[in-house]
Amino acid sequence: MKFFKFRHQGVGLNVAWLKGLLILGGLLILYGWALQGLKLNLETLNESVPYVIDFVSRLFPPDWSVTDVAVKALIETIQMSLWGTTIGAVLSVPIALLSAHNLTPGWISWTANLLQNMVRSIPSIVLGLFFVSATGLGAPAGTLALGIYTIGYLAKFYQEAIESVDPCSIESLQVSGASWVQIAQYGIFSQVLPPGLGYTLYMFEYNIRAASVLGVVGAGGIGFELVNYIRGFEYNKATTMMLILLIVVTLIDGVSNQLRRRLDTTH
Amino acid sequence: MQGEIRSNQVNVDLQPPGIPAIACANLHSPFLPSLKRPALNGVNCVIQAGEFVTLLGLNGAGKSTLLRSLVGLVPIQKGTISINGLSVKSKLLRDRRDVSILFQGGGLVPQLTALENVLCGCLGQRSTWQTLIGFRHSDRLRALQLLQTMGLEAQIHQRTSQLSGGQKQRVAIARILMQSPKILLVDEPTTGLDMLAAKQVMDIFAQLHRQGMTIVSVLHDLTIATHYAQRAIVLNSGRVIYDGDCENLPNYLSLGNP
Repeated sequence: MKFFKFRHQGVGLNVAWLKGLLILGGLLILYGWALQGLKLNLETLNESVPYVIDFVSRLFPPDWSVTDVAVKALIETIQMSLWGTTIGAVLSVPIALLSAHNLTPGWISWTANLLQNMVRSIPSIVLGLFFVSATGLGAPAGTLALGIYTIGYLAKFYQEAIESVDPCSIESLQVSGASWVQIAQYGIFSQVLPPGLGYTLYMFEYNIRAASVLGVVGAGGIGFELVNYIRGFEYNKATTMMLILLIVVTLIDGVSNQLRRRLDTTH
Repeated sequence: MQGEIRSNQVNVDLQPPGIPAIACANLHSPFLPSLKRPALNGVNCVIQAGEFVTLLGLNGAGKSTLLRSLVGLVPIQKGTISINGLSVKSKLLRDRRDVSILFQGGGLVPQLTALENVLCGCLGQRSTWQTLIGFRHSDRLRALQLLQTMGLEAQIHQRTSQLSGGQKQRVAIARILMQSPKILLVDEPTTGLDMLAAKQVMDIFAQLHRQGMTIVSVLHDLTIATHYAQRAIVLNSGRVIYDGDCENLPNYLSLGNP
């Protein structure tokens, strides 16, 4: 009997080992397939090193004479991010409420989720091009693009926060005869607010970086200036732009982390 | 004693005499694939007004489902439920306004303060517009009085996430009393509480029962059950297998019954 048990455990171990080996083999095949798709040429890669060194060396030293232009463009980027995040956050709330599986019937949440996926699948740069063609070059186009881009992510984050609400607390309110709006106001909103604010802060910080990319298609902000300097081969000025952006993003990241931590501890 | 209801006591509306508080006939809930049967599989029971009844049984016996079906949270496939003589077929909560349920763990909103949670108990009595920017002064006074009655003056403005298990249960009881129910359904009120907190919570139910409230409580501790309840209903596989005095229960169980 003991021998049988031992043998049984041995078989179990072998199966687990074989399973691990199969997973490893599968992963190797997957990565090999992806690598062959890249059509990587090691010779070209080796030859590119001097060009990379040349490009990086031309970035330094930074040209601080454009600091005022960088600060002005950065302020515009922050303004774009602030309004873009706010527009997106406001529009995300109803979409998240309709998407949440614990609040709405299946077909409504399915439709709202589809809408979210559609928005999320549009790259920010495409949204930037769309709004530039609609409103012309500049910050308004970037702000609107950021607003729509934000919906794709914040609606999903808000939806997940709503779905993680304690179901017992909602049922208690239902049983007391509370209306749908009362349940949303007192039961859901209060539980979703702390994580929701945290996600919104994170999105604001993310949008500052996204706004820099939108500048490439003429949608305003620091990216617009950055691309202009790179196209004009004024790499030292472009470095100043990037360094100032790095400082501001790091600062905002720090402040936003502090705020998020405070939200977590007070709730 | 902190756990006992203090001074003026809570007003409990008495039920009409002679009419059963709860009557369930051949109650069937929808089929559950995990159990390979309905959670409630033909439950028959009558609970008279003013009784303190304990529901006992193994996990999956259908105790919590029975309580949830009485407040409309579990749909009924077959059978009837009568509350105070009125048949409640619809999910409409106004048919069940005499009944309140205390969920395991209290079912409080953790981010709200004790006072705000208790105020939530009167949401069903106020319209959406009336509570959109807050609660009436009279509601706040009543909530404060209930929290004081429960011995929670110091915790009034504390978030319920910061309270102990026993304090949370007392806040949840105060919230239920805001609805002035005649029948109180309680789902495992002592789970996760230490002995003292469990005694405090059970003493509150005993006091509410003395004031005329009908109490139906799911309990796991036989000692607590026999000490506080007069009658026990034992469920097994969604059916009632024992319905009688709590005093006879130890004998019944010693015969090898579940």
